[in-house]
Amino acid sequence: MQCDDLGPEMLEYLAGTLPDDRLAEIRAHLAQCQACRDDVDATAELWNELGAAPAPRAESARMRARFDAALQGYIDGQAESRVVSFAAAHRPAVRWQPWMQLSGAAALLVIGVGLGRFVTVAPPAQANPEIALLREELRDTRQMVTLSLLQQQSASERLKGITTSSQLERPSTEVVSALLDTLRHDPNVNVRLASVDALRRFSGRDAVRKGVVEALPQQESPLVQIAMVDFILEAAGPDAKSVLQRLAEDMMLNQAVRARAERGLKQVGL
Amino acid sequence: MRAVREGDLARMGVLFERHHRPLFEFLYRMTGDRGAAEDLVQDVFVRMLRYRATYRDDGRFETWMFRIARNVRADHYRKHGAAVYVPDDDMDWASSEPGPGHLLERAREMARLKRALQALREDRRELIVMVRYQGMSHEQVGAVLGVDAGTVKVRFHRALKELRDAFSRVPEGE
Repeated sequence: MQCDDLGPEMLEYLAGTLPDDRLAEIRAHLAQCQACRDDVDATAELWNELGAAPAPRAESARMRARFDAALQGYIDGQAESRVVSFAAAHRPAVRWQPWMQLSGAAALLVIGVGLGRFVTVAPPAQANPEIALLREELRDTRQMVTLSLLQQQSASERLKGITTSSQLERPSTEVVSALLDTLRHDPNVNVRLASVDALRRFSGRDAVRKGVVEALPQQESPLVQIAMVDFILEAAGPDAKSVLQRLAEDMMLNQAVRARAERGLKQVGL
Repeated sequence: MRAVREGDLARMGVLFERHHRPLFEFLYRMTGDRGAAEDLVQDVFVRMLRYRATYRDDGRFETWMFRIARNVRADHYRKHGAAVYVPDDDMDWASSEPGPGHLLERAREMARLKRALQALREDRRELIVMVRYQGMSHEQVGAVLGVDAGTVKVRFHRALKELRDAFSRVPEGE
């Protein structure tokens, strides 16, 4: 047995959980190795010291009350998503039909194969306008699929649309507007929450920041509102203080949302 | 969690009651910030609600919970930057109240140990917190981190060694 072998097994040795034969080997090694004996002693001492450190006490009552409020908000949001909302009822009459999605997918495949061939055959240094064109088409098709998914009846399809949007390198203004529209009007809480996450990528755009700020009072789910407060805190820059101040004082908002805005104000130093 | 996944969302309150303390302890020891740890606990449970469909019966609930907790913590650091650790309540570890000399000395040692722990690389600290304070086995830690138990043993030993070195470097009387 080598000194290096002991390390990973030291805790089990100290705990006495090693099999007898291995225990005997380690004992034999320790009997003749002062360095390893010192190592075992120091480890045992540190282990005990660590154990003596008291556990931090959770403020359980406060935490539970806060979570109950968030949970209730989430449950209410779920219930709300089951009723047909005004926004859902006024969605554009023309929906993407399955054959349109299928065509989109087929187009993606053909363009992908074409791109693959060009990329492997053409010398990498040469700028090929056809490749640029194909890339452009691929990007457009992806955007089209994203927009199509965001219009679907099924919430999981719309969630897929949001995921797809995050894979677009340079999403068009149309995609960003669709995400904002989803945040404002989607009947499903999870979809709206995911759209807040997706919009973080575009928090540098004035229109997005403004859109989120304006959409917040219209949200009915405190959970989504809290996610939006976080967005504002991160993205709104110098304007964050005034927006958060307004939210913290808005008695029409859920108490948990106001509390989040107040904590945000403390974070930005007000 | 199965009931929650099937739509009985109110049962999440039971899970919160049962698991928020160890989760808080984990996140507090990782961030060193009580307020941040409380916020992150909320985020973990909300994320469990949102991703409840991804819960599988074949693993332990705690494994799933700690995986989510690690992601939540990583997102927190991405948003707010890596934690520059400033202990917010050393009272938990070291009482400054006058008392018998040996108790005061002991409290100082605890505070030094806490500083040493926070000086460790995050992945090392995480291992020590999971094994020593959460009482997780090498296999359980391996399931959370996605590595085998043997790898956990080696990494844990390395982490403990680094902690010893860090502890010896924290000046006495701190």
